Amino acid sequence: MSSSNEYLFLMNMPISKYLLLVSVFAIGFAGCKKEIDPDRYEVNPVELYSSIGEKTKEKSREQYVSILYTNLFQQALSGNELVEIIDCLESIGDKELGREVLISNFMNKPGVILPTDSVMRANPDVFIQDTYERFFVREPSQAEITWFRNFIESNPQLSPELVYFSFALSNEYLFY
Amino acid sequence: MNMNRRKFIKTTAVAGAGAFAVPYILPSGRLFAASGEQLAPHVVYVLFAGGVRQQESILQRYLADSQGLPWEGNILYNMFNGAPPTNKIVYGTDQGNGAAGGTPIPQILSQTLQSQGTLFREVSSQSNGHYGGLNNLLQGSQVTTQGLKQKPVNPTIFEYLRRHGGYAATDTWFVGNGIANSIPLLNFSNHPDYGASYGANFFAPSITFGAPGFEHLADAKVYHPENELNPMYRMKYFLDQSFSSVGTAGDSIGNTEDEKQHIKAFMKQTYERVTQNLIPHPPVTDSNDALTVGYACEVIREFKPALTVVNLSNVDGCHTDFTGYLRALHRADHALGHLWNFIQTQVPEMASNTILIASPECGRNLQHNPIKDSNDWYAFDHSDDNSSRVFTIMAGPNVPAGLSIGSESNPVGITSDNVLTIAEILGVKNEVQVAGLVQAESMSLFDRI
Repeated sequence: MSSSNEYLFLMNMPISKYLLLVSVFAIGFAGCKKEIDPDRYEVNPVELYSSIGEKTKEKSREQYVSILYTNLFQQALSGNELVEIIDCLESIGDKELGREVLISNFMNKPGVILPTDSVMRANPDVFIQDTYERFFVREPSQAEITWFRNFIESNPQLSPELVYFSFALSNEYLFY
Repeated sequence: MNMNRRKFIKTTAVAGAGAFAVPYILPSGRLFAASGEQLAPHVVYVLFAGGVRQQESILQRYLADSQGLPWEGNILYNMFNGAPPTNKIVYGTDQGNGAAGGTPIPQILSQTLQSQGTLFREVSSQSNGHYGGLNNLLQGSQVTTQGLKQKPVNPTIFEYLRRHGGYAATDTWFVGNGIANSIPLLNFSNHPDYGASYGANFFAPSITFGAPGFEHLADAKVYHPENELNPMYRMKYFLDQSFSSVGTAGDSIGNTEDEKQHIKAFMKQTYERVTQNLIPHPPVTDSNDALTVGYACEVIREFKPALTVVNLSNVDGCHTDFTGYLRALHRADHALGHLWNFIQTQVPEMASNTILIASPECGRNLQHNPIKDSNDWYAFDHSDDNSSRVFTIMAGPNVPAGLSIGSESNPVGITSDNVLTIAEILGVKNEVQVAGLVQAESMSLFDRI
């Protein structure tokens, strides 16, 4: 069937049959193993920075908020919400304070995705590695892993949420 | 105690001498406090209020010098002495059965600011545009290269106070009427010797405590300062240390952790007070300026700042709506009266020791533009020489009462004087002058009296 015939076939199909066909395709796709084709979905592989010194550009407020939201919720922020949040940050003179309040607000929202405390403490090195890659898009140095491992182990009340908070509020997170 | 009187006096004297001899390092890193004596510990500075014609303000001509109608009178009767108009009242509220705006807002102050203080009747604005005018009022200088959407080029009064006076970040506040027109940029300059670390705290309450703030800031999680925030900051400082050779945020105004806690608690409390309708707004709140002043009162009550700057701007509707302009002027006066009354009656720590200063950033044109409003009255822009004519009013301790200086034929003062005036009040005038960045011909208004 040529593509034009295919189009006519779909156009002439009763709506109930059309919905059924869509459903069958949807179930079929859902049952498939997820393999993301970077070319088909235009997903760009991200190279990790090889050194901290490569981050020379400061993120715009829009970039900062969008990336922060994606890091915490693992989904994109809507355009309207982005505009409103930028306005909120503009309305506070101490920008670092504004970011702190914003992050605190995000942490209180349903849908924020955080590792559990047991995951963090079961293997701190992996948690630290993942957190550096998630927020800083680079691997931690051995000194950084050691410092964080010691800090986590010596602070039994420290939660993954606070670790994420510190990364999101750090100066490095403002740069790319 | 075995200490006898002689030994006690000797010990006390040594300790006292030591106290004088040991330098006190101020939060700003400055070794000694400012050299000058303060005239008052608090200043409230109102940027009034978006381009005000002398004709409808200080000259009290109401409709006479704008629409060719024979009605004169004073619609700013919290600020100035003078009887209000008796005809064609449009600037009030719509209460009662009269025409729209036919009920003037009752006077708040039993004694006008003019009676309480000193009025400079004819002052030269150094810019006939808003942003240039506001920059001039805050920098004390006229910078021709100053562009829109650009940080002030020269230091603001906030930075002078914090750098030379050792004031903390929460001692200086700028309460803006919104975030448009580069307003949020005015809390510090990008001058290399000053900048963000000496900047003022800023809120645009219509955003911060309006619908967007409620949606995205109000529900901020409250963390325990010792058990949660302390380790979080320690991790952040470690991360910042690792990155310090590459870059820093550069937009933190240097609130200490305690100050940040204080501000966050204030924000939380303010959201609750908004919900409970407890913000001390002026009696009439049908303008953004009035709402802005209500939040400024809240900041003042909480922080008792050394300097609070409040920006009002609703008057600028005059570009298209002269009736709306009259209403906005009347409300700006109402809001200013409320602010002064609030300080005197609700903030005991600042009553009787606060100096109020108010100046428009620019005036408006002598000739109208072609736009007519619903009353068939012409609107006014701001671009000609008449736009450079403004006033300044001051009241408070050490300000002579009932004094009127200058006239239409004898202008006295320029708007950039206000920076040196505030610097003198808060004890850093010499330091500001030595820095050499204010306009050469500007003087403290106290030196012009």
